[in-house]
Amino acid sequence: MSGSKADLTAGRRWPLRDLQRLALFMTRRVVALFFTVLVGVYLTIFFANMGGRVDELRLVQIRSTVAEQVRADSAFRDLASDERNALIEQRVGLEVERLRLDEPFIWRSLDYLNQAMRLDLGRAEQMHSDQGAREVYRIIAERLPATLLLFGTANLLVFFSSVWIALVLSRHYGSLWDRVVIALAPTSAAPGWYYGIFLILIFAFLIPILPAGGMVRVPPPEGTWAYAASLLRHMVLPVAAMFISSIFMAIYSWRTFFLIHSSEDYVEMARAKGLPPRLIERRYILRPTLSPIVTSFALMLIGLWGGAIILEKVFNWPGLGTLLFQAIGYRDTPVIIGSVVIFAYLLALTVLLLDILYAVLDPRVRLDKGGR
Amino acid sequence: MDVPPLLEVADLRLTYRTSRGPVRAVDGVGFDLRRGEAMVVLGESGCGKSSLAKALLRLLPRNAEGLGGQVRLAGEDVLALPEERFRAEVRWTRIALVMQAAMSALNPVVRVGEQVAEPLRVHRGWSRVQAMEQAARTFALVGVASDFLQRYPFELSGGMRQRVVLAMALVTEPEVVILDEPTSALDVLTQAGIMNVLKRIKAELGTSFILITHDVATSSELADRVALMYAGQFVEVADAADFFAHPAHPYARLLMASVPRLHQAERPVHIPGQPPSLLAPPAGCRFAARCPQRFARCDQDPEVFASGARHRVRCWLHADTVGCGEERTASRTLRPGGEGR
Repeated sequence: MSGSKADLTAGRRWPLRDLQRLALFMTRRVVALFFTVLVGVYLTIFFANMGGRVDELRLVQIRSTVAEQVRADSAFRDLASDERNALIEQRVGLEVERLRLDEPFIWRSLDYLNQAMRLDLGRAEQMHSDQGAREVYRIIAERLPATLLLFGTANLLVFFSSVWIALVLSRHYGSLWDRVVIALAPTSAAPGWYYGIFLILIFAFLIPILPAGGMVRVPPPEGTWAYAASLLRHMVLPVAAMFISSIFMAIYSWRTFFLIHSSEDYVEMARAKGLPPRLIERRYILRPTLSPIVTSFALMLIGLWGGAIILEKVFNWPGLGTLLFQAIGYRDTPVIIGSVVIFAYLLALTVLLLDILYAVLDPRVRLDKGGR
Repeated sequence: MDVPPLLEVADLRLTYRTSRGPVRAVDGVGFDLRRGEAMVVLGESGCGKSSLAKALLRLLPRNAEGLGGQVRLAGEDVLALPEERFRAEVRWTRIALVMQAAMSALNPVVRVGEQVAEPLRVHRGWSRVQAMEQAARTFALVGVASDFLQRYPFELSGGMRQRVVLAMALVTEPEVVILDEPTSALDVLTQAGIMNVLKRIKAELGTSFILITHDVATSSELADRVALMYAGQFVEVADAADFFAHPAHPYARLLMASVPRLHQAERPVHIPGQPPSLLAPPAGCRFAARCPQRFARCDQDPEVFASGARHRVRCWLHADTVGCGEERTASRTLRPGGEGR
């Protein structure tokens, strides 16, 4: 058995092999994801502009704005009508040239694509941030923290409590609590805002202990602590609404997931080996299923980006959902495209991160796809 | 009895709860096993062989109920132990199992060396290095190169995986190793390789084996003792030589006649009929419906009769045999072809 020691140390060479494969695998993924984002963003540009039809609307708008300006300007009051019309035409022509509306849409769309891919989001057409900025970037950045805070809190709470409770329930299959959760799972058929309405009714009006909506008290309280306390009070109801609407379904699906995976042969083998139940849970149930768990966690995180239009409306929460809703209403294409572009990049980044994580978590991915 | 048996099983019962009623998968099984002995449990699919293995290790699925009887390991009734003590003191340290689905019995995301060394670290508190060295020694024993310790299960072939699972069962040097159809998923050559490893280990380590299989031909190489299982019960338990030469139970005789042999003039026979459902087993002898030698008494449940030293038969034909039943059984030997139709 003198050779066994040397053989055992041979394992140290393996990380290098793993790393090489990982690098190759990642390069491929980055290239593939770049093209995915490219196509996604281009499609958004194409559809948000209705394939160029929005330009006609824009042209009408420009013409009426210019005409209005010229008419309102006292300097041009004395001009003859055909001269005034010529002036309007000239100004419209300038504006068309500035926006390059005379070029075919297909060429401009490629230009938009280029700008979008470089995260040059441009200026909004109608909308502006609360501070009056017209940059799409500023408008989005202003709304982002509100959405992240509210939805992040709710989703993290749901995720971790559901996974933990599900693991406990899968150990006590068929118990009273298990059956209670299964019976309650259909409550998730109703969306968060539905429960929100009832929560507002009960806790803001019948028993007025919590605010009905908004993000902080008006006017905002002075001092960090007072501000945070007010924010927290305003968060309770929307977070509770989202929690109630998704927790039972989440527990139910995780519980089923863990039940399926705890009847794998290698789990039974681990039981036969007499391993302690905690170790079995950690190494034989959670460890092999970490990839799907991490996936759903990451997708949950980027799902935060969109916010939720109706829930934000119900709770009067100044988030991204409301913003997108307004942008669609105003047909403010730069804002729509901007928010989609950022989402596309976030999604691609998350997918890439997941790919790396899969490779780290699962040797089958790492060693198989690296190339042979 | 100068050698006290290592494992004594008496009236072992295991019932599954199903929507159509209880299924008595193991129904009053009893046998004993001496140190260093290999017992083969033969039986058709669905006769309760795997349930027997699970019952011995108390690995019960969720719908199991009513595990009863006695399992004495070196005199101690381990079936009566509390669950936690059974887990810590019996599982794998004293009784190990090679599962039927050995192909999927390895955790896909943990290196096989870790998995083989794991019981040592958990049950004996060994250090990683120490446990890995023992794992390497066990790998050598079953014929796997020790650089495979660093591999993942999906990097191994079926035969290699089976050997690794075998190594995992042997690493703690348990007193009894239960092998549940260890070779049924493998090709003939790999099967032969595994059987040779088992024979060598039996000779070198003196481990006791319980080999569960439906493959009469392969099992005969390893067996010291044979137990024949039918519809949840042991119908015959005997020394291997005795069993293969002079099977006593009509089912055993038909089974032996159905095994094809080299240089055999007659065609191998097949046993007509189907084994009974374990949901509602027939009253009386469970084999009666297929038995060519049934008679009136078969309507009653047969007792277990001695048909020689350490030879037990559950059949009314042997009711009057006391001590040596050699001539009687020989005189009743069935002509292949079975006139029972």
